[in-house]
Amino acid sequence: MSTLQEQIDLSGPPRRVAIITGGSHGLGLEMARTLALAGADICIAARGVDRLEQARQKLQAEIEREVLAIPTDVTDSSSCSNLIQKTLSHFEKLDILVNNAGIGDGPGRGKKVWELSDDEWQNSVAVNLDGTFYCTRSAIPVMQQQQSGIILNIASGMGMRATPQSPGYAASKAGVINLTETVSAALARDNIRVNCITPGLVAQQPASSSTEKQQQLDRGKFITAGRLGEAWELGPLALFLCSDASSYVTGANFCIDGGGLAGGIAPTGYKPDINGVNDD
Amino acid sequence: MTEWERHAGFDLSSKKALVIGFSNPAGAAIATSLAEAGAHVATASSTLDGDEVMNAKRASKAIKALGKQTFSQGWDVTLPVNIQVGLRQICKEFGCPDILIYNADFALTKPLLKTTDTEFSKVHQINLHGAFATARSYVRELKENSGKIIFVSNIFGSRGLSNMAAYSSAKAGISGLTASLSQELAPQVNVNCIASGWMDWTQGRGINSVEDNLLLRFIPSRRFGEASELSALTVLLSSEAANYITGQTFTIDGGVSTHL
Repeated sequence: MSTLQEQIDLSGPPRRVAIITGGSHGLGLEMARTLALAGADICIAARGVDRLEQARQKLQAEIEREVLAIPTDVTDSSSCSNLIQKTLSHFEKLDILVNNAGIGDGPGRGKKVWELSDDEWQNSVAVNLDGTFYCTRSAIPVMQQQQSGIILNIASGMGMRATPQSPGYAASKAGVINLTETVSAALARDNIRVNCITPGLVAQQPASSSTEKQQQLDRGKFITAGRLGEAWELGPLALFLCSDASSYVTGANFCIDGGGLAGGIAPTGYKPDINGVNDD
Repeated sequence: MTEWERHAGFDLSSKKALVIGFSNPAGAAIATSLAEAGAHVATASSTLDGDEVMNAKRASKAIKALGKQTFSQGWDVTLPVNIQVGLRQICKEFGCPDILIYNADFALTKPLLKTTDTEFSKVHQINLHGAFATARSYVRELKENSGKIIFVSNIFGSRGLSNMAAYSSAKAGISGLTASLSQELAPQVNVNCIASGWMDWTQGRGINSVEDNLLLRFIPSRRFGEASELSALTVLLSSEAANYITGQTFTIDGGVSTHL
């Protein structure tokens, strides 16, 4: 029986190969960093070429190993297919796919469902749900041939609760959660595990100014833990789900949200008191 | 740009943990993993059943062999006073635990009409009331310190199955306890739950043969889970890297609860 340290070691042999979409900043970059430090070969993908290259150089300098960066538009299925094929031809295998690329409702944010144009609806659905489907579809034959693989989808707490200000985003993330379950059930016999992380409110990067710091503190007051999550906090959870440490976990959804989703039926900090025993 | 203060996810160096419940193999597997991750680990049985008390002692011996401090007690979690006194003694002799794992597990598989009040009550006392009483005593002992509570439960608390009304309702209570305590105790104490699926010790699972056991074919992974497969998540949730995770019930079940 292997020890926990052996289970979370991705350096092999053979070394694991991981693709992280939306890997040029925020949660994606932090997860890529954690998997890289655990020993995996990394390919990061994103639309913005400059930021992607900066992230690649940053990661490569930290792990002193080659990092691949492939500009990818996950709303385009041929671009997703290209991502998988290029990674495959470079590293000769694919063990882990992290479907992290995501986007908010953009111009449709704040509009009512019935006010959304087709494009506004598609803005987030195309990236969050279609993109996850396209990358997953391209990766599955490779993983089936290997008879092993791990797919990790990144959803959102908004996909588990009504979110009137962002209907497209919420619905697309809810779709990601169900897609996780459905694909996991279809692939378990091929030794491919599919899981999902559902982050709550998480800061994409450390506050760079006192104003930003204050904004983060103010937003954190509405969360049970009293603060926003930090992007690095997704790393260890992603490593668990992308390694042998989670060998019996598939189809599962792991929330990391400072307690938000466990509550949510009353304002944060609300304490019903019908017996007059509250201590504050 | 300033950097975040990061914590290692699977490192429990210098932490102290208490694992309660050794009637199934998960207790020993978790206790050993916590010690391997660097924690000093105390153990306590959930009943005074001789085999379980000895399992707790053996786990303690294994922890000592790893070079970690340990302490072992026999508890009866149906007696809140036993929990309170036992925990007080552990705090005195071993140190107040940073991590508390509640793995007490007592199953009953009986039809509704054949389940007596006494049986129902015992199932609830060990699985649920003991968890509540342990959390209460633990938070008292913690005072101002931060802590982690992890309940080890199972998927019978979220899905129905014939002959399991008493057991399922107790395990469902654990998820409610987790959610409520996470709100009440944040941010001082993180409270989470791990729900296992059909494990290789689950009563009523049938034989370990995919050909002959329909249940195994119903599990996407087509096998029963092993105790060691609960360890890694327990270590992660016990670590400082999981400070933003609270109130959750995490499923480790080979995918059985995801499909129709």
